[in-house]
Amino acid sequence: MPFLPTSTEWYEQSSLLLKARPSTTRITSKYTVLSPSPSKIRKRTKYAERKSLKSTADTSSTPATAEAQSSTTVDASTPTATFTLKTYDPVSGICLQYETNKAAEVGRLVGSLGRLGKHMAAVKTVTTDLSEPSGRPGVDTPGVEKLEGDVVMADVKMTDAKTVEQGKAGNGGGGGGKKKKKGKK
Amino acid sequence: MAGDHLTNDEFFTQLANLFELNQKKGHGSIHLTQKRLAYGNVQPPTDAQTLEDPLWDTYHPEEPVPVLIRATNNKSTKRAGTDRENVDKVKISTVVQPDQIDAFYARYAEACKAGMSGLKKRDRKKGKKDKKKKKGTSAEAKV
Repeated sequence: MPFLPTSTEWYEQSSLLLKARPSTTRITSKYTVLSPSPSKIRKRTKYAERKSLKSTADTSSTPATAEAQSSTTVDASTPTATFTLKTYDPVSGICLQYETNKAAEVGRLVGSLGRLGKHMAAVKTVTTDLSEPSGRPGVDTPGVEKLEGDVVMADVKMTDAKTVEQGKAGNGGGGGGKKKKKGKK
Repeated sequence: MAGDHLTNDEFFTQLANLFELNQKKGHGSIHLTQKRLAYGNVQPPTDAQTLEDPLWDTYHPEEPVPVLIRATNNKSTKRAGTDRENVDKVKISTVVQPDQIDAFYARYAEACKAGMSGLKKRDRKKGKKDKKKKKGTSAEAKV
């Protein structure tokens, strides 16, 4: 279940998957608000503490740090909200995911859901343009991640087409999810 | 379940309620699903078919097919020691006709934007974003 690093990659891969299996693929988007666990709150306060210590190291003021700490504890307990998009095809077992926590992206993401919805509905006008972006070399690499993640699950049923694609895809991959998390923290 | 689909308008009001409920609760999830509504039109592949052609599902109908949209929340049960209350699972669904997809998704986007208020706002992030960008580029440079 790879998390793709960007929403455009997610969109491109999803449209390819939809093209391959238009009638079984489904797209689930999940909006989650989680109140952080106690350990998470502790981690956050610790982090903020260390940060404020660092910033106020030269001013050497203990009340300032205490103040900062108290202000961050309020922040630390604010719930985290995420918006996750998941394209899943139960037949081949392919699952593509993208996660964000930015409100600014929601409009665009739902827009791409709409475009994918058109593929689902088999509306004629859009079916032509989705093969284009995948041709670019820069976009080829994310395909690797998709495939590597999938092949494990898809192995059983998918034989020829998958292995060919996998061979073409080559190296790299797998790092997508990790990279994303690093960026987020 | 087949007869339970709401009209698009009803769906949006219910969806707004769902988001509001989630907001009031302060935590929880909302799941939105979309898939092709091709019930009865598509037969699952036989084993021979999949052996022959792994990409059997290239069913491209002559006529556009409607899209099914579902939205649910999570059921929760009261638990001592926490602020959890009993919340029933709400399931709503609607069918979007192919010619209404654009209009539907425009409204859908609005509804989602309004409902997903817990996500990080853009202006608050601006200062941090630049820092992050720098960090990201330096990390990439290292690699």
